[in-house]
Amino acid sequence: MAAIFNALPGIEVPVGSINKSLAQLWEDTAAKGGPAPASDDGKATQVNFVLHLGFKTTVEDAVEQFQIAVNFSKRSPCRVVVLCPLPIYDPGTEMRAKIYGECHLGKTKGDTRCCEFVLLSYPFAARQYLESQLSVCLITDLPLYYWVHRFAAIHRLNDYQYLLRRSERILYDSAIADAEILSFAWPRPGAVHDLVYARLLPVRQSIGQLLSGYETAALISGLRAVTVTQGETLTAEGRVLLDWTRERLAGCGPLQNVVFDRQVVADSSLRLDFKYDNGHSFGWHGDLARKNACIEANFGAGRSALHIAVNLLTPDAALSDAMFF
Amino acid sequence: MIINALASFRLTLTNMPDAQRHPFLQGLSKHRGAPPTVVVIFGASGDLTARKLIPAVFNLGYDNLLPADFFLLGFGRKPIPDDEFRKVAADSIKEFSRRELNADVWDRIAAATSYVAGGYDERAAFDRLAKHISAIETKIGREVQTLFYISTPPSVFAPILLNLGASGLAARYLGHRHQAKVIIEKPFGRDLASARALNATIRSVFEEDQVYRIDHYLGKETVQDLLVQRFANAIFEPLWNRNFVDSVQITVAEEVGVGTRGGYYEQSGALRDMIQNHTMQLVALTAMEPPVSLDAEAVRDEKVKVLKSIQPLRIGSGGDVVRAQYAEGMMGGKQVKGYLQEDGINPQSATETYAAMRLSINNWRWQGVPFYIRSGKHLAHRVSEIAIQFKRPPGTLFAESDRFNLAANTLAFQIQPDEGLSLVLNGKVPGLETRMQPVKMNFRYSTTFGSNTPEAYERLVLDAMIGDGTLFIRGDEAETSWALYTPVVEAWAAAGREGMESYASGSWGPAGADALLAAGKHAWRQP
Repeated sequence: MAAIFNALPGIEVPVGSINKSLAQLWEDTAAKGGPAPASDDGKATQVNFVLHLGFKTTVEDAVEQFQIAVNFSKRSPCRVVVLCPLPIYDPGTEMRAKIYGECHLGKTKGDTRCCEFVLLSYPFAARQYLESQLSVCLITDLPLYYWVHRFAAIHRLNDYQYLLRRSERILYDSAIADAEILSFAWPRPGAVHDLVYARLLPVRQSIGQLLSGYETAALISGLRAVTVTQGETLTAEGRVLLDWTRERLAGCGPLQNVVFDRQVVADSSLRLDFKYDNGHSFGWHGDLARKNACIEANFGAGRSALHIAVNLLTPDAALSDAMFF
Repeated sequence: MIINALASFRLTLTNMPDAQRHPFLQGLSKHRGAPPTVVVIFGASGDLTARKLIPAVFNLGYDNLLPADFFLLGFGRKPIPDDEFRKVAADSIKEFSRRELNADVWDRIAAATSYVAGGYDERAAFDRLAKHISAIETKIGREVQTLFYISTPPSVFAPILLNLGASGLAARYLGHRHQAKVIIEKPFGRDLASARALNATIRSVFEEDQVYRIDHYLGKETVQDLLVQRFANAIFEPLWNRNFVDSVQITVAEEVGVGTRGGYYEQSGALRDMIQNHTMQLVALTAMEPPVSLDAEAVRDEKVKVLKSIQPLRIGSGGDVVRAQYAEGMMGGKQVKGYLQEDGINPQSATETYAAMRLSINNWRWQGVPFYIRSGKHLAHRVSEIAIQFKRPPGTLFAESDRFNLAANTLAFQIQPDEGLSLVLNGKVPGLETRMQPVKMNFRYSTTFGSNTPEAYERLVLDAMIGDGTLFIRGDEAETSWALYTPVVEAWAAAGREGMESYASGSWGPAGADALLAAGKHAWRQP
């Protein structure tokens, strides 16, 4: 994890002077004529955002997630704190910190927005002190969001109860997290959001818009089977889509003897099919590589088909959706 | 047909709790649940269509907010081939959209875009339109809602409305979620009588819950934020009354003159063009009581109530109204002509390019608090804002004016440009001596949330599509506003040029407007 800390961008500063160093960073930038909040009124942080890199994170992956956080900050100016724990066997005893700032130029000077990153590397044994150290890196009074990324042992989350309890929302990606995360006893389950669910927004929207045009009774009458067929790389998406569909159909009325199952195919498709015993049918067939889908429906008035463009949300858009909607 | 499903869902469902929505819409933002829709634009080759409507549709598509079954139909007198209409639409996106044209997004919309030519008073043209819409339904195998956007001069409002009624288009799926809807652009009449006549025509064809009278100011983020600031922050609402507020100023200032719109403007003037509609919406949202809910009817009920509380305006010397025309002056360092020297303007014109009013709201909350409103062309710079000026603190603790430069606390909502709000407080100047200075706390939308926020028309077109009328004007709102201003326009018409003041282009308005405030020991802000 020291490798990750070293690989991520930023200027290393003493842990005890993070805020002072950030202020100095902007002053220096402004003095050199660069964009900076002090000169441009460009910093308007509204969110504290903690990205916690777990032990399964590789250097390349950390850089990628860091860039996602940067992209997200273009949408929502935020104070990002990246937590990089040192491995259990690492003999280090000191915390290290880096600061990083980035300004996004808009169409006009007034559109300039700057965000700040604090990177904290901490010995695993020092996690009990992390709360205090973290608190001085966050901006007072602003909401806190917590993104859990690639923890090797999900139960370790219990060591960070203050983050789990204080955060407005807790985000994880079930497509890359250990399955254990699905059964973790979150202290506030309502605050926990799966990024896979957020990524599926365009899929849920297109299905929801179409099926909301039919009476709920028509959707479940004669329904015998619901099948999600997914490409090999879309296991989590398939699972979440099936769970969502089951929940939505249950909202339409009692389901009797309906079989829900998933099948895997070797392409990039994601399909949802309803099978009825009364001649009705519904199918949403997406090819995510080609970014299109076809919706076919027959609820008694003949078959209709609709071709649409569909794509999963980008990582930063999914973060935004999971955090704010 | 397929969708009869939703007969029980009335339009108010857009504001219903999530758990009461259709199960397959639960968990989705209400704006992501628009039913299959055909938007028909009357006045498809007009300026508003190019500048605002087509870019709004494109940006909604870009943000994946249009329904999958979305169709755009242009309707106009001029015969235009479908391909040409699409090309002109694409050109308007390139020129006016907040985002660059994205071929993937536009190609999808363009594939569902077509044009129907016909006269607005030609019944057969509306029958053709109805067939065109039916053909779309047949092709896709689903019912679609039709959203008619009347973006034409007001002279053809009535024939369009009546033909929508006669052709049966207005009554499509009436009472269902996907019932036909109509958006009407201002002006909603020229006076009370014409507003009533227009409403009577509308109601002869449409139910009120099908009608969306658009005032694009209501789609602006800051205007919507006004409700949030007032009712979601405990610190403001307790102060939002005559006990703490000294006065309210609402400014809608334009830098531009009449330009090439002289012919139109001669028939309109500042009162009809800005005061009666945009400015009064801002007054209503600022002064209204808290609605019982955010339901469209609850909000509009409160707006109407406060508009009805405004006292009749006193006209004439020492009264509540001032009008003026811009004279020559300097704009942006260049000499500019006066109104009477502009092309297409009658040299004896009695049309005002500036109007200022002092409104008195006769209710428990606002008794004795003047609401000053003004709007004009060729003013110092373009700005629209609402400024709440609070009373000064009691006592003499900081009464020495040479030591204590105390400003009145002012909360200003800037609607355009640079949407945001600011609060002026008094702070101590650092140093051994206690001296004070006003300090300004700023919140700017573009800085905080990015500059690429949706334009007003995007929000409003989508709201109409999903049946949410909260940000639209109800018929009685328009009539109530006209009831206040009709005596003014009649008096001005009768007076001709008598009492018309002038102001230098590039200034903040005429001397009479300053005197209007000076009488109450106030002065206009220079925002």
